[in-house]
Amino acid sequence: MNTTSSEALRLRNGIDWGRIGSYAFLVLLAIVYLGPLLMLVNTSLKTTPSFMRDATGLAVEPNFENFAEAWEKANFPQYLFNSVLYTVSATLIYVLTAVFVAFPIARGYVKYSGALLLLFVIALFLPPALIPQFQLILRLGLYNNPIGYILLFIVNPIGIVILVNYIKSVPKELDEAAALDGCGYFRFVWSIVLPLIRPAVATVVVMHAIGIWNEIILPTIYLTNKDYYPITRGLIVFQGVYGSDWPVLAAAVLMLTLPMVILFLFLQRYIVSGLTAGSVKG
Amino acid sequence: MTYHFGRGRSRWLPYLLLLPGVIAYFVIALGPSMATTVYSFTDATGLPGAPVNWVGLDNYDEFLFLGQAARDNLNAVGRTLVFCFFVTTIQFTLGLLVAIILNQKLRGRNFFRTLYFMPVILGAVIQGLIWSLFLYPLGGPLAKFLAVFGARSEFLGAQPTEAFAWVIVVQIWANMGTTMIIFLAGLQTISKEYYEAASSDGANRWQVFANVTWPLLTPSVNTNLLLNVIGSLQAWQLFLVLLGYRNGTQVLGYLIYATGFGQTSGSVTSSFRQGYAAAASIIMFILVLVIGMSVQYVLRRREARILE
Repeated sequence: MNTTSSEALRLRNGIDWGRIGSYAFLVLLAIVYLGPLLMLVNTSLKTTPSFMRDATGLAVEPNFENFAEAWEKANFPQYLFNSVLYTVSATLIYVLTAVFVAFPIARGYVKYSGALLLLFVIALFLPPALIPQFQLILRLGLYNNPIGYILLFIVNPIGIVILVNYIKSVPKELDEAAALDGCGYFRFVWSIVLPLIRPAVATVVVMHAIGIWNEIILPTIYLTNKDYYPITRGLIVFQGVYGSDWPVLAAAVLMLTLPMVILFLFLQRYIVSGLTAGSVKG
Repeated sequence: MTYHFGRGRSRWLPYLLLLPGVIAYFVIALGPSMATTVYSFTDATGLPGAPVNWVGLDNYDEFLFLGQAARDNLNAVGRTLVFCFFVTTIQFTLGLLVAIILNQKLRGRNFFRTLYFMPVILGAVIQGLIWSLFLYPLGGPLAKFLAVFGARSEFLGAQPTEAFAWVIVVQIWANMGTTMIIFLAGLQTISKEYYEAASSDGANRWQVFANVTWPLLTPSVNTNLLLNVIGSLQAWQLFLVLLGYRNGTQVLGYLIYATGFGQTSGSVTSSFRQGYAAAASIIMFILVLVIGMSVQYVLRRREARILE
């Protein structure tokens, strides 16, 4: 458990079996986590005939042509552009509107703020909105339309709850002082509150953006024109065509995995704080 | 609370600025979510301009009682429960074990933490494709491994039960990191003094866990259990990427999608029956509600017992 109890155990047995067991377990699990990734890297460096002959054999003479081939055939630039467009615009609209929803609710500056907050909390327990949402977009004439697709992502109730909780930690005296100095409501939220709640905003932005980027069900439902596909949908199409040519497919998957992994290393703490927000207190 | 930023007309500014976010939420999420109930009593289709008629409870009746399709549906419900059970129990236990190990002062613990958490960010498509390759039946790593023991396997192409089991494995691989992180955050709130007191009383590892860690970890236990149960009841993205809509593997979430938006496989053909899919959504909602509430009830009683 902690160092003191493991020290006590070490004294008793001479050898620290707990620590050895821990490492053995961690390494075993690490193999399960790394194995599939290493297989992906190795496959992406092989030629198709050598993969057919021996799928797991090491790529002794790395062959980088798969990457060029995947990039050329998969229409990645278009898909990536679409993904970036959807992710950036929807996240931007969402977070701007969310701050102006969360701030007055946290402060009680609007009537029924408690009830309003509750409406965002219960979202987690409501029936799936999938079917009526589709009917709505269809009737608005926004089916198979990038604008309709972006609209689906400008809402995120959990983010509002996270922001409200964080804003409550900003001292209320600040509002009064700023108002006395003649600062207006909009300018106060925009240039004083927003910088102060940056950690929470960053968490919400990162979580929301990752959700849009990785979404696969909604593009499958709402977008039929290939020119509008985000990268997730594009990858599935590519798999449909090159599914049997694993080296090229692996190269394509790897090209999309690596940037995510690198991004993850930088953004990890925001994701972690997003996941644990409120969960420790229960 | 007193509002400081002016009176009269400018008092309306907070309302005005709040509106876009609230309206968007009502129109795009809350409203449609409520309307699912209404649609479940109609024969709505996904085709523009087609008339929508009120059909009462017909959709529910058909979903639950009408011939072979109803039996398939109930099998899918059962499968969803099996999926939920295995994913929740394994992911919960594994996440707790890993969190406890990684809460010790170990060399390289940050590396392990990051590694186990990483799949969370990759998303279902990349997770699924990575595993499709790993499970490649013609000499992929797992096929090779099994061959050592003289066993053979078709993995994802094989019997539905085997393919289904692999989706459970990938689902846990993909999401265990979240469970672990929430447990780690909970473990870090437990004061060291409790452990020192326990070890000076000569408690062994198991006693420390049972009497200190487990009761004090209650908030994270509750969060994780609920998140895992609800999440796994609703999850089906990995089924889409790994298997497609295949007989003997469908879960409720996939069924809703397939009936609502059209999907064909083997003997199962479906097309844009959105009223029917809405009824299936409500059945899933009731399932999530009943199971979620029971879990919540058990957790509350347990918490009350610990606090006594």
